[in-house]
Amino acid sequence: MIKKRTLVRFFLFLFLFCTIFYPLLVMVCKIKWSDFSILISSASFRQALGNSFLVTLLATFFSISIAYLLAYTIHHTNRKHKEILKILITLPMLIPSISHGLGLLTFMGSNGLFSKYFGFNIVGFWGIVIGSVLYTFPVAFLILSDGFGYIDSTMYEVCKILGFTKWQTFRKVTFCSLKKALLSAIFAVFTLIFTDYGVPLAVGGKFITLPVYLYKEVMGLLHFSSGTIISLFLLIPAFFSFLFDIFCKDYTTTSEKSYSPSKNKWRDRILAIFTYGILLFTFLILGSFIYYAFIDNIILHPTLSFDHFSYVLDNNLISYLCNSLWISFLVAIFGTILSYLIAYFTARDKKHKSMHILAISSLAIPGMVLGLSYTISFNHTIFYHTFLILVLVNIVHFMASPYLMAYNALKKLDPNYETVGKVCNIRTFYILKDVIIPNTKGTIREMFAYFFVNSMITISAVAFLYNTRTMPLSLLIPTYEGNLMLAEAAVVSFVILLVNLLIKGSISILNRKERRIKYEK
Amino acid sequence: MANMRIENLTKRYKEKVVLDQISFTVKDGEFLSILGSSGCGKTTLLRILIGIETCDSGQILKDGVDITKEDTKKRKMGMVFQNYALFPNMTVLQNVMYALYIKIKKKEEAKRQSMDMLKIVGMAEHSHKYPHELSGGQQQRVAIARALVLKPEVILFDEPMSALDADNRLVLRKELKQIQKKLHTTMIYITHDQEEAFSLSDRVMVMHNGKIEQIDTPHVVFNKPASTYVESFVTKHLKEKVSSIEKCAGIDL
Repeated sequence: MIKKRTLVRFFLFLFLFCTIFYPLLVMVCKIKWSDFSILISSASFRQALGNSFLVTLLATFFSISIAYLLAYTIHHTNRKHKEILKILITLPMLIPSISHGLGLLTFMGSNGLFSKYFGFNIVGFWGIVIGSVLYTFPVAFLILSDGFGYIDSTMYEVCKILGFTKWQTFRKVTFCSLKKALLSAIFAVFTLIFTDYGVPLAVGGKFITLPVYLYKEVMGLLHFSSGTIISLFLLIPAFFSFLFDIFCKDYTTTSEKSYSPSKNKWRDRILAIFTYGILLFTFLILGSFIYYAFIDNIILHPTLSFDHFSYVLDNNLISYLCNSLWISFLVAIFGTILSYLIAYFTARDKKHKSMHILAISSLAIPGMVLGLSYTISFNHTIFYHTFLILVLVNIVHFMASPYLMAYNALKKLDPNYETVGKVCNIRTFYILKDVIIPNTKGTIREMFAYFFVNSMITISAVAFLYNTRTMPLSLLIPTYEGNLMLAEAAVVSFVILLVNLLIKGSISILNRKERRIKYEK
Repeated sequence: MANMRIENLTKRYKEKVVLDQISFTVKDGEFLSILGSSGCGKTTLLRILIGIETCDSGQILKDGVDITKEDTKKRKMGMVFQNYALFPNMTVLQNVMYALYIKIKKKEEAKRQSMDMLKIVGMAEHSHKYPHELSGGQQQRVAIARALVLKPEVILFDEPMSALDADNRLVLRKELKQIQKKLHTTMIYITHDQEEAFSLSDRVMVMHNGKIEQIDTPHVVFNKPASTYVESFVTKHLKEKVSSIEKCAGIDL
């Protein structure tokens, strides 16, 4: 007789295979290879490819440099309120990438809040670079901050005792320990920028990048075959990033002792100015689109007004918001259950390496590519244009990170709990319900928040899969933005930011409260 | 209480023979220590006895019944882990009564029996505390109570005192011996600590490279080591320790 456990594992494996690899296989099979040479020889495609590489390389360099200095400031300088700073740095992750572009446009575009006094316009190459940096540096910061947290601080004491210079200590300890995190951050940021179409769509103007080219080919010209070929190009950096994550990431390193920075006023002051400067710029951009949303007319009549808000409200804001909340809630619930269950098998049982690789493989598939593959695979089925397909594509798209959160948390738990269950004649289900889940509650909440927030902001994965009845709120932004209704697009971004702040904030408060209660005990 | 008979137990990991034709018996209510250095196969043996791992060949008989392929749950054995493995989200009392409650489904009865067991291990007054509020020694007492409350016929210990400091070890050793005398449970105790094995056991089994070097009373193992390995690992070590203590105390040999 087949055990229940084996059956559950089989269905999880089947689910991962059908939702990740099947659509990709169908997509690749439907490519007309004659289109390949036509596309490659097209000047506009080559131009877009070149533009993408140029923008991505430059923006990755700036993003990583800023994130490194911010992470260094948090971990290796004497600053108060580091936790608050950390929250502020990661706050921009709560809005879609297109909103960063929108913020930049309202601040430094033609007639922008700032640029109108100096007569310049950021739209184009530099707009995409700055927008991409704004969108990705919090992601790089989180990865590097994690890396800094893992550095064993006793190594610094050893260097001091051995009389190493500061430069030698940096090379031998900081850089060596951070190498993996740094490479991981570079790959992650490169992939994010290379495959993002939110920022270039908002602030790119005539400077076309590859994802925008794909978007126009599929949405504008309905050239699905060309779209698929472009998707393959978008997959390349993501695929290398994925391989790197599998082979090089070390999930188990831990710090023996937390680092206490030496006294150095000048270092602290310079880095504080840098940190506050970056935060100021980020919040000016964020504030700019919020300001835009509540001003009547930025040029002719710059007074407080709720007209744009009322306009969006009258145009079914509540209905789209409900769609988004409904989708995000379902994604968060089912995504959390599913990724937690998969992580339970892979982390608590050594036999499931293939399931582990399958679960993190969605890291290698950009949202647009996943969305396109779902369109091609399911467009003749009853799922197409339903909430079900939107929920499914979001779960698959965002699964890797929450899965890794659960995987790491479950790996840290005592490996003997299940053995205790076996010896004491307690069913594994009870051990999972009464021991494993209660001891990873904080992680489960974080996973829920991650799924929810990202489903609220995603555009790329769902852009080809909605209809008027199921359209999520985030897709109103490119719609308004395309019609040059920037204030209305800003209103939508603002509403998304509010919802995400509410969810992320409540979960952070809940987790903090629980930690404090535990500490007081 | 139960007696056990292990016959020709063999276990291989790829090419490496971890347990090589191991045969021994454990009598009713006996305290047997399995002594050996790291990698000698003692933990693998314990895991096979409890049923977490399988053997390649050989037999495990409990009270004459073959349990080699029996599920862990049906073996009626308890186990105390090296790192205690207490459930961090449950109090001391909840940790002890959890499995019992699931088994008998009577909360008050499970509570009463668990409190009785906590009294035996001297932890009754800490029943409301969580594991992280206890010292290592206290946590190990709770782990012992959790294993004993289900009234197993045999209880296995996987180096239970290796994470404790010297003082705590001494106290817990005495208490464990008293508990064993009181409950007459058959106990199999794994350790790499010679003193621990000699002070606790009715018999000591010395293992090396997956084989039994000697199995006998502590007195015989100490005075008549069966091999050069037993002599160097056990006898010589203990004699050196005694002589260094005597030197420190100013006694001339």
